[in-house]
Amino acid sequence: MHVSTSTDWRVADDRIGILFIAPFVVAALVFMVYPVAESVRLAFYQHNPLNPDAAAFVGLDNFRAIFADPLFWQSFRQATIWTGCSILLQTVIGVALALLLHLPLRGISVFRGLLLFPYIVPTVVIALVLQWMLNPDIGVVNWSLRGAGLIDESIYWLASPNMAMLSTIMLNVWKYTPFVTICVLARLQTIPLELYDAAKVDGAGAVRRFLDITLPQLAEVLVVVVIFRTIWTFNKFEEIYLLTKGGPGTSTFNLAIYSFEQSVASLKMGVGAATGVVMMFLLFAGSLVYMRVFRFASEDA
Amino acid sequence: MNQLGFVRQTVAYVVLLAVTFLICFPLIWAFSTSIKAPKEVMATPPRLLPAEATSANYRNLITGKEQYFRADQAYVPTTAAPQHFVSWFTNSLIVSGASTLISIVISTLAAYSVTRFRYWGRRIVPYFSLLGYMIPSIVLVFPMFLVMAQLSLVNSLWSLTFGYVSITLPFCMWLLWAFFRGIPIELEEAAMIDGASRLRVFVDIVLPSAAPGIIAAAIFSLIVSWNDFLFARVFINSIENLPLTVGVMHFFEGTHVDWGLMMAAAVLMTVPMAILFMLMQRHLVAGFGAGAVKG
Amino acid sequence: MSTRTTRRKFLADLAAVSGAAAAALPAWAQQKSTKTGTVRVWGEPGPYAGVAVDAMNEWAKKFAPGLAFKLETLSWDSVYVKLMTDLAARNPAHCISVESPIAYQLMADLLLEPVDDVVQKVGRNRLIDGVKWEYWGAWKGKQYVLPAHHQPHLLVVRMDVVNELGLGNPDTWTWDDLRNAARTISEKKKDMAGISLALGRNLCTDYHFAALLHSAGGRMFDVQNKFEVVFDSPQTVETLEYVKSLQPYMPKAAVSYSFLEVVDSIVTGRAGISFYWGRPYGRAAEENPAVFANLQSFNHARHPKTGRRSNWNDFQGWCIPRPNNQYVEEVKAALVYYQTSQEWLIRYCHSLMPNVSPVYKDVLSAPRLQEHPFFKTKKDTIMNYYVNSLPNSSSTGNELLRGVNPLAGVVHGRSILAQTVQKVVVDNWKAPDAAKWGARELEQVRKDNLRLLQIVT
Repeated sequence: MHVSTSTDWRVADDRIGILFIAPFVVAALVFMVYPVAESVRLAFYQHNPLNPDAAAFVGLDNFRAIFADPLFWQSFRQATIWTGCSILLQTVIGVALALLLHLPLRGISVFRGLLLFPYIVPTVVIALVLQWMLNPDIGVVNWSLRGAGLIDESIYWLASPNMAMLSTIMLNVWKYTPFVTICVLARLQTIPLELYDAAKVDGAGAVRRFLDITLPQLAEVLVVVVIFRTIWTFNKFEEIYLLTKGGPGTSTFNLAIYSFEQSVASLKMGVGAATGVVMMFLLFAGSLVYMRVFRFASEDA
Repeated sequence: MNQLGFVRQTVAYVVLLAVTFLICFPLIWAFSTSIKAPKEVMATPPRLLPAEATSANYRNLITGKEQYFRADQAYVPTTAAPQHFVSWFTNSLIVSGASTLISIVISTLAAYSVTRFRYWGRRIVPYFSLLGYMIPSIVLVFPMFLVMAQLSLVNSLWSLTFGYVSITLPFCMWLLWAFFRGIPIELEEAAMIDGASRLRVFVDIVLPSAAPGIIAAAIFSLIVSWNDFLFARVFINSIENLPLTVGVMHFFEGTHVDWGLMMAAAVLMTVPMAILFMLMQRHLVAGFGAGAVKG
Repeated sequence: MSTRTTRRKFLADLAAVSGAAAAALPAWAQQKSTKTGTVRVWGEPGPYAGVAVDAMNEWAKKFAPGLAFKLETLSWDSVYVKLMTDLAARNPAHCISVESPIAYQLMADLLLEPVDDVVQKVGRNRLIDGVKWEYWGAWKGKQYVLPAHHQPHLLVVRMDVVNELGLGNPDTWTWDDLRNAARTISEKKKDMAGISLALGRNLCTDYHFAALLHSAGGRMFDVQNKFEVVFDSPQTVETLEYVKSLQPYMPKAAVSYSFLEVVDSIVTGRAGISFYWGRPYGRAAEENPAVFANLQSFNHARHPKTGRRSNWNDFQGWCIPRPNNQYVEEVKAALVYYQTSQEWLIRYCHSLMPNVSPVYKDVLSAPRLQEHPFFKTKKDTIMNYYVNSLPNSSSTGNELLRGVNPLAGVVHGRSILAQTVQKVVVDNWKAPDAAKWGARELEQVRKDNLRLLQIVT
């Protein structure tokens, strides 16, 4: 008779453990490691997709080319501006919205749903709708602003470099502020109410309570969210491309669009891949900061 | 007492309503445009409520307005795109569903393994996944395209499915790892001592407990796949194999844009996501809260 | 009783006609094919490609019942992406209708099947006066592209506005007159811009700018001299400055305009003058009859020194990609069937008047061609597109018709001309600097694609 001893369990167990992790390992190798590795490899090659048989190893030439290209640096600058403005707006508006949604009102959950809704709207949809709304001649935005007397003549939202940058920032803020709101709201819901009660007893006003109690409690979450969103926003492709294609001219180019154009329009996949490598490098640098701060923050708590 | 005074409550509601209206306005405006007839769409000044609402745009999309050319007619002004709308919708459903299924299955098994067994490298897995999550898709697209080209998978829904696995798997893994970590092991151990097999325990005890996390991961995965543009743009060539995101851009071809039709398509494209979101709002918030903050 | 007789007579007549039609086809084209499958055909957005595919399907029904020709439209702004991805996947369509710059690029890359046999069967002497087979695509002695149509863009003018403001006869205008007219319209007419051109980073801007550049006598490359870049020239500077001088009289959003927006501006009456192909007429007839009644097209304004009135003509043709194409013979037979059928060619032109111009003599002179309502009121305009544009036609792929240049496709893929224009109108660079920038980009294109030119360095 076979007696189930604990050792029996462990032997069968280990096999199950390996069996369960195996699909992930395979998938990770095929769908995550391989593309990244191949992308890094391509960065050192000259590869024209219409003539793949003529691909050749070129060492660091692609990197030299992009670092010498003024458009690359322009894209980098613009990505930084775009990211900075977006994050600032997302954080301020996100916190404000979270405070609003934290109020003990009846039916607040309905509002929560509606205000967090932009996050799941496809970027294509909001880009198309914005193009329609911002149409200089028949778009509702210009007509409303003119009707309210705020402007005299139509604003050309997508036709000048500054306005195009602003429009793409608006799209980004609209779509991703909910992410900030969700995280901040989750944190707000864990702040013990006694802290506020004690402060009220001490005579602290609403603003004082916010600055002294809420904000410090949120600090940890905000830092994490900001770093996370910065890493994420810097490399966004669709939010800009679908609205302006990087234009007018190249005034809303960022590194992702630069990489895309190199691969598709200029038929230089090697250069596109090299840009991708630079983007990944920046990303790793950013995530190191994230890990450092995160460990720091969690040690504090 | 946490109840606000009556005045404060009213002010709060007013602010909430205003803010909500402003944020939801793009979709409201899209819907308003989609139920207008072409002349009203182009009329100025634009009005929110149409004088005569019509469902023509939606009907045209769903029935797939006829191929726009007829040899015996001198001029036919409509574009060819509407006739493919239903195909695009189906493609999006299929590809999102398939990639979600694959990612969820792989991640669930892996998360369980990593949190319940000991072997070399198990600690790396979640951080590796998080890192993978942050890789921008522009980096992944072209190498994957070259592979798809060699495997002759370009322009097939399979290529999209695989592409989407690469962008949904990392976060699903991270999320489920966080969830499984929080499920106490005692129940399983007790059941196993009582004689239950590991697989039985997995199915009967662990999966139900992990359900909220699995649902959150599935929702996330569906949303990301449904909304992707870049992979579809590069992998798919023929108009009937496109998913909605790229297909809808075809409304810009030709010499004029039918905004009413395009807004109807935009609305229809968002509806599944909205439904998903409304139904599972709780799970989504819980999932994100866990994944991004506690991690 | 009578209906049966009529029907029987009708069927008999039909049989007679079909028999005659079938007999009229050369024996070669009457062979049947047993292949099955879908033949993918790429075309531009527009009804005409659909007409051609219908014709090919008619051929298929008779001679290759297992085949079906299917049209896929490429939107203009994604031509190069689709081309790149399909070709990179070694999976292009079996038959493509493209503008000549792209055809030249494919041709030089040896990606196309030669079609001299088809030309023979269609009729080597059938071309209208003023064009040559090479304009559509011939390389190193072989023809690779069959004409689909030719498609010039002309000066489109609102005659009511021009007459009201006493601006003269657009057919006599010089560059200065054009600018003057644009200025006058802008100043005197409310809500109407003087002239509407594309200034966005797209193909339409490339084409508009190229026409002006060629009128000034400038070019991008010197085909006779190893395709050297000659873009950095006084003519380029002059053209850039001319466009800049027109900008104040253009719609403010012109810097983001592409094909779509320019047509919109004409049809909705927000511009008095434009450069465009024939499409606005069809749209105006449908959407804005008041504008339609007053629209007329002329050859472009003369350059004050050279006297040229260049238009950009796309010389669109059918070509047959080589890689992985198992239907080459069938496509050739279908093309012959379609191109030897006067009826189908006329339907092709009628499907979008007057955008697509006939290419063969017998079609141009067929009375049936003139059985289109537009001929009643727009005959002059139509003949300007069909015939009078030809002496002035030019193309970026065949600058000033001095020779085929396969680099044009790459230039358009990168929107180099449009970007040069944008440096001046958006970034406010001085024209000479922009010209130098453009020349450098073109040098890079030349360097990267020497294999296309088969030049040994």
